[in-house]
Amino acid sequence: MTTLAWWLIRAQFRTRAAATCLSMLAIALGVALGYSIHLINEAALADFGRAMKVVQGDPDAVIAARDSSGGVPLATINAIARDPAVLAIAPVIETRVRIGNTGTPLRLIGLDVFSAAAVLPRLLPRNEGMTGGDIFGGRIFASPALLDRLGQRPGASVTLWRGDQRWQTTIAGDLPATGPDDLLLVADIAWVQEHFGPPDAVSEGRIRLAPDTDRANWRRDLAARLPADLLLRAAEDDQARVSNLSRAYRVNLNVLALVALLTGAFLVFATQLTAVAQRSTQFALLGVLGLSPRMRLLQVLLEGLAIGVPGALGGLALGYALALALTQRLGADLGGGYFSGSAPPIVPEVAPTLGFLTLGCAASLAGALYPAYLNRVQPLAQALKVGFLQHHRAGVPSHRRWRLPLLALSAFLMTRLPPAFDLPLAGYGSIALLLVLGVRSAPLLTQWLFGWLAARRLPAAQQIAVQNVAQAPLMAQVAASGLIVSFALTASMVIMVSSFRLAVNHWLDHVLPAPLYLRSKATPLPQDLLAGLERADAPFARVERMAQAALTIDARRPNVALLIRELERNNPAARLPFTGPLLTPPEDMAVVWVSEPMHEIYGIEPGQRLRLPLIGRVVDVFVGGIWRDYSRQFGAVTISRDDYLRLGGDFQPSDLALWPRPGQESAASDWLAGWTTGYGLELTDGIEIRHLSLSIFDKSFAVTYALEAAATLIGLFALAVTLAASVRLRARELATLGALGFDRRMLRRAVIFEGALIAAVGLLIGVACGIAIGAVLTHVVNPQAFHWRMSLAVPWLTVLGAAGLTLLAAVVASAYAAHQATRLPTAQILADVQ
Amino acid sequence: MLTVSGLGKQYPGASRPLFSHLDLGVSAGEIVALLGESGTGKSTLLNCIAGLETADSGSVGIGPQGLDIVRLGETARAALRARCIGFVFQAFHVLPTLTVAQNVALPLLLSQVAADEHVGRTQALLERVGLAGFGGRWPASLSGGELQRVAIARALVHHPALILADEPTGNLDPRTADGILSLFLERVREQAAGALIVTHSQQVAQCCDRILTLTPDGLV
Ligand SMILES: Nc1ncnc2c1ncn2[C@@H]1O[C@H](COP(=O)(O)OP(=O)(O)O)[C@@H](O)[C@H]1O
Ligand SMILES: [Mg+2]
Repeated sequence: MTTLAWWLIRAQFRTRAAATCLSMLAIALGVALGYSIHLINEAALADFGRAMKVVQGDPDAVIAARDSSGGVPLATINAIARDPAVLAIAPVIETRVRIGNTGTPLRLIGLDVFSAAAVLPRLLPRNEGMTGGDIFGGRIFASPALLDRLGQRPGASVTLWRGDQRWQTTIAGDLPATGPDDLLLVADIAWVQEHFGPPDAVSEGRIRLAPDTDRANWRRDLAARLPADLLLRAAEDDQARVSNLSRAYRVNLNVLALVALLTGAFLVFATQLTAVAQRSTQFALLGVLGLSPRMRLLQVLLEGLAIGVPGALGGLALGYALALALTQRLGADLGGGYFSGSAPPIVPEVAPTLGFLTLGCAASLAGALYPAYLNRVQPLAQALKVGFLQHHRAGVPSHRRWRLPLLALSAFLMTRLPPAFDLPLAGYGSIALLLVLGVRSAPLLTQWLFGWLAARRLPAAQQIAVQNVAQAPLMAQVAASGLIVSFALTASMVIMVSSFRLAVNHWLDHVLPAPLYLRSKATPLPQDLLAGLERADAPFARVERMAQAALTIDARRPNVALLIRELERNNPAARLPFTGPLLTPPEDMAVVWVSEPMHEIYGIEPGQRLRLPLIGRVVDVFVGGIWRDYSRQFGAVTISRDDYLRLGGDFQPSDLALWPRPGQESAASDWLAGWTTGYGLELTDGIEIRHLSLSIFDKSFAVTYALEAAATLIGLFALAVTLAASVRLRARELATLGALGFDRRMLRRAVIFEGALIAAVGLLIGVACGIAIGAVLTHVVNPQAFHWRMSLAVPWLTVLGAAGLTLLAAVVASAYAAHQATRLPTAQILADVQ
Repeated sequence: MLTVSGLGKQYPGASRPLFSHLDLGVSAGEIVALLGESGTGKSTLLNCIAGLETADSGSVGIGPQGLDIVRLGETARAALRARCIGFVFQAFHVLPTLTVAQNVALPLLLSQVAADEHVGRTQALLERVGLAGFGGRWPASLSGGELQRVAIARALVHHPALILADEPTGNLDPRTADGILSLFLERVREQAAGALIVTHSQQVAQCCDRILTLTPDGLV
């Protein structure tokens, strides 16, 4: 039995090498994509977890301020330290400095050696030749990775810069327990506090509890007693936050991988269906010889597996290679900008690897299922006599027609559902339903179109084509389905991306009003630069300053950006692109404007009063409106500088928008050049930022485009395969026609016309489905997954042009199928009785 | 070897049954010719006997144990065919994607003959039908007569108790047909199998042990 199965599989591979290899490739692609995304994400999370362990140790809880400019009062730290359940609490001050005028700021962590030994052992410095007592003595320690980067050795003297302040100090030793990617400086906490502030507070307290403490309970008790501007986190919260960071992005990539896998399954389906149809007399003969019905079913499934197993194995190898290559080139966030750092090691694990292998095999089995069933139910005697019997009729029975509007209605209703687990699951479901709807409505359209055509007087060749489609409805349906699904997905992506790009373009117009931008990364701008800009001889007509901070609203979610800007309290619309009405705030209250993502994630409404952790305490603010933001996916809140100062905040600008005086553009650049080189600041012009943003945008969708193009190719290939098969099934009939006086050219014309008709039906439905799915992507998936809202803009020229091109390609594919089918001499076909 | 009793068959939608209460017996080593006009149901009768179609009534006992194929399920029918029946068709039905030797070996695979016997028995039978040295060739390169000899070898290779042939020479020119047929009958007699052969040729019928004719009124 196995010998027979093996013979048949080999025969399949030999006679249909192209279709089989392509099916394998499609399965491999789906598996590779999913697997590499998984590997990269695991590597990134592991890497992040490891880096966090170094810096944070393994505390049972961390206490920190909710806003990045605030701190934990020393009094609070001392109070917690007195709690008998607390074994140790390590206060830490973290800030950013530069060494010399290097561009990137470094983390400087101030700690107390004794408490750190209990909680943060991996940050402990090594100091050769000096023991006990004051091991810091006003000096700093650098991680080996940083020393490497700087090309320095312990004992070197360095200058730390922050803004325009600078300190001369010595590197006393290294941090032996840190990893090869950790760029860190460690100093004594008192020394850091003296130079960088804040005076009576620290950034964080990291807590180790006594072993027999009920941690969850203890945390709950303490959290209840803490003031609202302080937050108590557990280590799990940090893990969750990191995972949340790239979650939607990952899910979207995974959906793409799933689409690739489904395309693979579809290709296996088309290949196996035609394989079964072509070999129906052979299988009938084997049945006569005693092959059991179960084995006829199993054989087709086995053939599916024979495609799936090598495909999935190849996919795993390809996925691993892809993960390696991508992390080397783009880092662990695939260019998404969520994580930073160098390439993490890719370590495949057994269980997920087997899981992806199974997924690939399951996809190919699923594709082979229906053909296997058809093969199982072929009546032997009849199949032996006339070949493959199609049980499907072209039309949709009228009692089933009500299913189509029902499908459409459910697809629509699913778009109304809220996200589940922060993911647009119902949106994806709606897309799947729309695809089913498209495929299901194909017979109806075919019936209608061909009924109309049949009533026309057509040339003989075209008439044959119309009849053929009517006689081989299953093949026509399969060929059309491939095109419907692949083209609908491609068109929808094109529509979504182009709507998005248009929206981003408008948005950039609004948020990048100035010709020049100056940024210092994470440290405040030097005071003397700011003073210089105020002088009358500075070549600038206008300067707007901005400061940034980060707020933790929910410990398990990524931080929200706080933007402090020089805005007019009563006219913020000049700078912020509002999506709705602007509300006038009460006179005596500070007003904030929240970004669209913040509005959606936290359910914050305009006109609402909000308690926000600002300036080291919680203040009541009024929500004046919602503005569009495509750059900070996890939320941002803007407050005017005046309100911020009135609340008692300390305005330390880190970003400048600059308008040079007309005619003094080059003088302005020269004026700034001195500062940028001296302080490692970054100067860009508005046009450059705009180009950069759009090119990042285009790059992040390049993978998507490549995949969709592959899907369309596969759809076309499926069309060619099914068309060739269905023509070959009718080879004798066609040859008879040939004998009756049809020349080969006419026969080819008939086949090409048939292919064009099927493709036209597929593309017509594909375009309609594509627009509907594009609308779901723009209005449901994007807002729910990324909190990006935009209006739908269908690029008609592109979509219709792509449809035209695909139709052309379909004609070429049909010409190929026609050539394949009519290649044999008429006499041979007539003589060759299977 | 074959005992048909009370067999009846009517296609759904047909105005009258093709045959009813049909009785027929073929003993071991006996070759029976089945004549009849086109459309009287000869092929259908053969299909019912082989279990490819289900008879409406009656029983078909096959093989030494006389298992009733009408009462068997699909899988058991297939197993019975694999073990006890050899089939030759008008259209040769040689699988184009398998070599000649593989085609002949198919029944051995399906009837679970020990694998080490396959090559020897296949070679032996190919020799017996005059196709020694053809084993590695593809069917597309064979003539019609050669293809039918492959089909005959395939029908005999597993030593079935019953051989059914539906117009085995209908697709061949008269001279080739004669040669093939005598070869076929010789091999059948050699194996002492029972055979039921549908044919239109009186000449063929003369070579058989018994001649039956299927008419709308039954077998005569
Ligand atoms: N699957 C079928 N369904 C309905 N009628 C059939 C089927 N197969 C054969 N017939 C009819 O049964 C009759 C006998 O067919 P067949 O057994 O092939 O005749 P013969 O082999 O004697 O020429 C014919 O009239 C044919 O139309
Ligand atoms: Mg017949």
